[in-house]
Formats: sequence, C-alpha cells, structure tokens
Amino acid sequence: MNLNEFALSPTVYGLPTRDELVELRIWDCHYHGFVRTDNDRKHFETMRAVERLGIERVIALDIGGDTNPPWNTFIETEFDRRKLEILRQYPDKVSGVIRIDPSDPDASCRKMEKWIRNGPCIGIKYTDGSMNNRDKIPCSHPNNDPIIRMARELGAVVYVCAWFLVGGSPCRVDGANRPGSSTPLDIARLAQRFPDVPIICGHSGGEWELAPDVIEPHRNVYFEFAGSDPHSGSVDYVVKKLGADRITWGGHGPSRSYATELSKVLDADLSKTDRMKVLGRNYRRITAGIFASKGIKIDV
Amino acid sequence: MKSIDRRTFLKATTLATAALSAPGTYGLAQVVQNRVPSTAASSGDPWIVDTNVNVLGWPFRHLKYGETGALVAKLKKHRVREAWAGTYEALFHKDIDGLNTRLVEECRRHGDGMLVPFGSVNLVWPTWEKRLQICHEVHRMPGVRIYPGYQPFDFDHPDFPRLLRAVAERNLILQISLQMEDPRVHHPVVQIGTRKSGLLLNLLREVPHAKIQLLHWGQDSTIRGRNFLPRLLAAANVFLDISNLEATEGLGRMFAGNHWEIEGKFPVERFLFGSLTPYFPLECAMLKLFESTLTREQMAAVMEGNAHRLRA
Repeated sequence: MNLNEFALSPTVYGLPTRDELVELRIWDCHYHGFVRTDNDRKHFETMRAVERLGIERVIALDIGGDTNPPWNTFIETEFDRRKLEILRQYPDKVSGVIRIDPSDPDASCRKMEKWIRNGPCIGIKYTDGSMNNRDKIPCSHPNNDPIIRMARELGAVVYVCAWFLVGGSPCRVDGANRPGSSTPLDIARLAQRFPDVPIICGHSGGEWELAPDVIEPHRNVYFEFAGSDPHSGSVDYVVKKLGADRITWGGHGPSRSYATELSKVLDADLSKTDRMKVLGRNYRRITAGIFASKGIKIDV
Repeated sequence: MKSIDRRTFLKATTLATAALSAPGTYGLAQVVQNRVPSTAASSGDPWIVDTNVNVLGWPFRHLKYGETGALVAKLKKHRVREAWAGTYEALFHKDIDGLNTRLVEECRRHGDGMLVPFGSVNLVWPTWEKRLQICHEVHRMPGVRIYPGYQPFDFDHPDFPRLLRAVAERNLILQISLQMEDPRVHHPVVQIGTRKSGLLLNLLREVPHAKIQLLHWGQDSTIRGRNFLPRLLAAANVFLDISNLEATEGLGRMFAGNHWEIEGKFPVERFLFGSLTPYFPLECAMLKLFESTLTREQMAAVMEGNAHRLRA
C-alpha cells in the first residue's frame, strides 16, 4: 500500500490533492514528535502523516533537555543524542528549536551556544509557565534580555507559547494562566525592546479575536494558531488585522490532528500567494538567514 | 484499498493545476469553491452525512457560514448530502417549542431537504416530556440533541434516566453534545464546568437499545480516560462523531488500537461524520478522513453508511 495515496479522491470532496498541498510548500513550525517520549518511534510514525499530507519540513520545538514530566530544560538525555542524529540525517526535512528557561539566562545562553551557534538548531522556545520555567518568569521580564540579544546575534527565531486562558474567580480573560505564562501583552513588551528580532506569538495567544490588536503595532511579531481549536473565519480575521505576511503555520502533531491545523487555513478566503505565505513562506523568510549560516540554502 | 490511478488523478486535477499556475491571485480557495464535487465524482463515490451541524446564530460571534444559505452551499460544495442540524438557540432559550419550530422552518427553507432538524429538550424546564413528544410526533424528527452544561443540568439530573427511556421507547436518536467550544476560550460569563460523564456508563447500560450519539466528546477527560470508552461502547448502543477527535492520524489510530492518548481498539461502525460546522471549519472533519490511511470501505462507513444505519 502506498501511504501517500488516498482511497478516495480529495477533489471529489472539495479538498486539495496531495500534489496541491506539496505545491503550497507547507512548513510546520510547531512539531511535537519528540515530546513525552524517550525514543524516536513517535517521531517516525508522525512523519508518515507529514509525508502523506505533503508537508515539506517540520520544526521540532522540543530539542535539547528532558521533555518528559517533570521537564528539565538543562538536563540532556540519551534521547538528545538521537534527536541530534535525526536533525543531521534529515536536514531537508526536520529542523529544531531549543527550549530555554528565563529563570537561568546564563544556562540558556550556554545552551544556545551549543545547540544553535555550534549545532543544527535555528531558534528558541519559551514554554508554558508550568514547564521549563523554574522561577515562573514570563517573556517580558528583564531576565530575557541577554537571551534575546544572543538570539539577535545568531539570527535565531523566537517562539513563545502565549495564552490568554479564561478562568479564575472572578473570571477574567487571563484568569487561568499559570504563574510564569506569557500572554500576548508580554510578547508586546518584549518586542518593543527588541524590534529587530522575529518573535512568534504561539497558540493564537489563546484568543485570536483579542491577541492580534495587542501585537499589531510590533511588526517583528508573527502570529501562529497551532494547538488551539479550529474556528471558522479565524484566519480571515487575523489576516485582516495583521496582514498575510505576519502569520506562520504549525501542525502541533502528533497531539493534534494535521487536519485540524490545515483546516484553519483552507477555510480562509486567501489568494494562493497569501496561502503560501501563511503555510510556510513567512517562516522561511525569517529563518533563511540562520539556515544559510548553517550551509542550508532555503528557497523562500 | 482502491487508489487513484494517474489518469484519473490528472483528469481530476487539471482545472486545479491550471488555476494554481495562473498569474494573479486566483488561489486554492477559488479552485475549491469552483469545483462541483458531484460532477467530478464517480457514481460509486460515497456522499457524506454530517451528523453535527448547527443553525440559527452562535451567541458569541458572527460565524463565517452562520447564515443557513451559506452553510448549505458550503456543505454541498464538499459533497455533504444530508446534515443533522441542531440549533444554537437551544443553549440558552427557554421557549423550546419556539426554537424547535424555528429550526424546522429553517431546515425547510434551505437545502431542499438536506437539513434534518434535531430539536432539543431541556430537562430543567418543566414539561420537557411534552417537548419531546412534539419533536417526535409533530415535527417527525429522527432524534433530539441536548447540551448538558449550557442547558443547566448534568447526567445526575433525576430526569435523565427518564429521558433515556423515553427516546428508547420512541426509537429516537439522542445526540449528547459534550462540548460546544474549548472552555479555555469561553466568554468569561460562561462557566459551565465539567460534565459528570463517568455516570454515562451505568446510565446507558440500563437502556442498551437506546440510540445514543456523543458529539464533540474528544476533549472530555473522563471519556478519553483509562479504558472508559471501550467499556461504554461495549455496554451500550453508543456512536461517536469525529468533530474533535484529535491526534495525528487519530481516526486510523482509533481503528487500529494505537491512538496516542485514548486506550482501546474501536470498530469503524461506531463512528459517524460530524463536523461542528459552522463553528469549526468543515474541512477539519473532512481532512481527518484523508489524514489517516483508511480503506475506501472505512471511509464510506464513516461518511454515510453508519449514519444511514443509525437512522434506519
């Protein structure tokens, strides 16, 4: 059985064919094939769907450090060696971003030296406040400045898990945020200090109807929807607010369905040019430099 | 598994390829919108029965396909031939007869019969039995849909077993919507908490012939929890929609018994296509059928065969 063939034609159901998906040059900048595991099985099984759906490249957000509870950013595991092998073995298919912890800027910078300057990785990730964040420090805190200065020097991309989580008593739009979680407001404060560093506001900031206005003034901030439910009309709305040049796409596999994440963009009324920007070109544009520094030429 | 041969593939994609290659802004959206699936399909291609759509206005946002005419056009574009429609009005309204009547009229007004109304009853408003009787005997509905949480009752409501017996006696399908949206994005005024879904196991065991469909159940931690779903499906006549079944290749993994987060191996016969359109993009549930490596028979069963059997 050819795993890239469909038993029914997608065309009949108003969906793009695999060739059409390939032509869109999709880059998944939110890949979790290495999380909550200590071996490569989850990764390679997930890559089967990546291939089937014509996705060109995945960017893993869980490189370097223990990605099993209770999580530790700075303890490298046996599995890290395997992740490194995979990144080097498949440079045209799999790329990596490392987790940092603003509680320890020095250790974070040392990790960036090892994995980005002297390794294959292309960026850093701020996780949710409950993980990899010893002192519960959001991305707007001054501790982050040396980390972001180094990201700027390396040309690395900065990914921030950002949430407005509704909850609490009295109920507020960020009332369920865990200590140390970053909100779109934190990203705006960070972006104001570093207007020349590309920062991705992940998870649609939790609220795609509220977050775009917060980050809109900061042209270096990009918007990404992965890991949130698919809402019809959401991508249309954010394109109208921010423009198609400021959106990146993530698949969040294998915990999320690629169908879920792709549907957000297929639902939107975009030109082919804009759809390609959202699904990969924007991310290629902001990372072409650091790829080039590693000897990988990216056709944006 | 039947695959698509090169000639069929080329024929089917000529228009799309030409459009994608054309200069200007004529993009994939237009390509998809301009397709007429029924003419591109062979006579053997299954149609789709969408068992989870809603009409008449989501209370918290204008939805892109919220107008019923636009919704019907969207459904038809993706080869949906029949859609079981509830109404968002059932979440908060007290005039249940009124909303059920509006639902029936809306379904008659649009879609040339493709919209099948699934009215609602609300256990906390008095005389819900009468509302159920009207849904069945006056409106001739094949089933009703309830929204525990938004409708302020849980599965421990004293009337819930009576509702189960009543739908079983009337041979009605009972659709239970476990969630309407991710609680993390609720409007702060909406605080509906978590359902006591664990009670369903014993409650449904008492009515093994009742036709029950769980809608948008995929994020319910109890139902996803350790060995719950296999026991529930073994004990009762329970069917599942796929609107928020998550994980890469999630549907195929449910059939194969290797879903990353949900234990058990599940028969394809228990799954129905359901999209939560127009709140979710219709493409979300559609693509789930193609993301997994399914056989044509498996796809057809989920697309329409299982729904036809349930409704029979």
